[in-house]
Amino acid sequence: MRISKEVFGVKGSKKLGLTVQLRRAAAIAQKDLRIYYNKPPVIVQGIIFPVILFFTFTIGRKIPTPLLISGLMAMVIFLTATSIGPFVFPWETMRKTFERLITCPVSVKTILFGSMLSSFLFGVIFSLVPLVLGIIFFSLQITINFLIILIAMFLAAFVFSSFSLILSAPPTDMPGNIMIFTLLLKFTILFLSPLFMPIRDHPLAWISPLTYFVDIVNVSLGLESAFGHYGILIDFAILSFFGVFFLFLAFMLHKKTLQKRFRN
Amino acid sequence: MMKIEAIEVKNLSKHFFPSMKERKRIRMQQEGSEKGTKNNIIQAVNNINFSVKQGEIFGFLGPNGAGKTTTIRMLTGVLKPTNGSISIYGGNIWKHPIEVKQILGHVPEEANVYMDLTGMQNLYLIGKLYGLSKSERVNRAEQLLKQFELFEKGNLKAKKYSKGMKQRLLLCMALMSNPKILFLDEPTSGLDVKSSRIIKKLIKEYNENGMTIFITTHDMDVANELCHRIAIINQGKIISLDTPDNLKKLTQEYLAIDCHFIDTVNVNEIKELHSIIEVQQNNSLYHIIVKDINVALIELVDFIKTNDLNVKQVSTNEPKLEDAFLKIIERGVEN
Repeated sequence: MRISKEVFGVKGSKKLGLTVQLRRAAAIAQKDLRIYYNKPPVIVQGIIFPVILFFTFTIGRKIPTPLLISGLMAMVIFLTATSIGPFVFPWETMRKTFERLITCPVSVKTILFGSMLSSFLFGVIFSLVPLVLGIIFFSLQITINFLIILIAMFLAAFVFSSFSLILSAPPTDMPGNIMIFTLLLKFTILFLSPLFMPIRDHPLAWISPLTYFVDIVNVSLGLESAFGHYGILIDFAILSFFGVFFLFLAFMLHKKTLQKRFRN
Repeated sequence: MMKIEAIEVKNLSKHFFPSMKERKRIRMQQEGSEKGTKNNIIQAVNNINFSVKQGEIFGFLGPNGAGKTTTIRMLTGVLKPTNGSISIYGGNIWKHPIEVKQILGHVPEEANVYMDLTGMQNLYLIGKLYGLSKSERVNRAEQLLKQFELFEKGNLKAKKYSKGMKQRLLLCMALMSNPKILFLDEPTSGLDVKSSRIIKKLIKEYNENGMTIFITTHDMDVANELCHRIAIINQGKIISLDTPDNLKKLTQEYLAIDCHFIDTVNVNEIKELHSIIEVQQNNSLYHIIVKDINVALIELVDFIKTNDLNVKQVSTNEPKLEDAFLKIIERGVEN
């Protein structure tokens, strides 16, 4: 069945393309940042958490600086990008605001992308804290390759914000139900990651996406890649694969569970 | 004026598979009674057909759990129907969701505004999601907040609003894009008189300017006052569809006596009187449906004398839409 141009408007139909959906996703991201992220406790935690981690692993321990910084950045970007995102959908399902979004002219992918964008920005901003501390205390600016580290941060934030969408897929309206599941998965990934240690010393490191981010940061701080001469390219390729895979999986899971959110 | 079909619904059904909790409840209900079916399906909406004309205010009435909200959720693209089709100005909401939703506005039953955003921010967000330009957003938001008497509170967070203010804000959000069709799910439920009046007045105004309105309500006065046609749904099926006047004619053989008692009276005692058909109590007002007004009045006076009751006022009236609604529901249940 074709839709009437007179009613829905030719101009309107043209306007409903990709750029419009991206703009609407940005509006959803702005809403999430205002409601869920721009809260004094969240911001204070976002700053204090990396600072505490920095001093915990610096004082009294003899971890080589590149391993310390890469480990801290990996932990912070992973834990911040997945901290709020998984709870947004259960919360909005409970408050029926998710239903409000669904009745608006936005696709489910737009809503998911908007939510992912807010997790992405949150992750990128707070992973800068250990980097800045490293520059202040260890003069990293002398050895660091800023371009590589920035691209790696953006890519890692994309991977982990996509992962946070997967965590938000169960169609519950109880944020508490998500917490146990989220903690279990997040700590499993941390356990599998070679944080604060050489990558080659961890037998299961290849499974975790954090490994490839750690390797890129290590290389940008002057260490050799654990994956050989073209290691950094392998890292970028595998991280990109993880990002696309997580995003695809998240879209699929949300599509499957969407109708269950409106059961009551 | 009312020629084009704004909404056309054909053979629409929605069933849910019960959750574990619900399955347990159903099993417990069936224990000891009839033989239970293996595949218990909750039939929320069962093969309904209706159409809404452009510029019409269409009422959708029914008791709790009749399927009103499920229907509105299917019409607005929230719930996917199990069977049947929905056409909005000829467009299929499931094939062209973005285009069709662009011309719809929706006020849900629960106040689902963003509590941590201000009234103005809630409106701007909706404006952005409907693709309004910045100047359109600002102008429209200001205009709506003024119309709904919320302008002074526009910069307050929605969590500080009263229930009536939240409901008015919801209406503003639904009207932000100036939709062709507005869906209202219980818009005046539990509201103060002021909010209820503002909402009713503006629904009328928007309809006079050509907006099609689909409204579900429990409030018979709202339905009677606003709706051009009313569909009555019960147990997932439409059991009556007509104008309010025609629906009221279903009870034309009856009349009503409104009796204000000063003393408390047991409704069942009045019901026992021979010529009384139905009694509805609202505080001290007893709305009594009778078949023969003369006989009923004599019986009622006898009843008052016998029980030594004090009466403030007695008047005879035409039956209300509420009487017709109850009669139709009762008939539907019997059938």
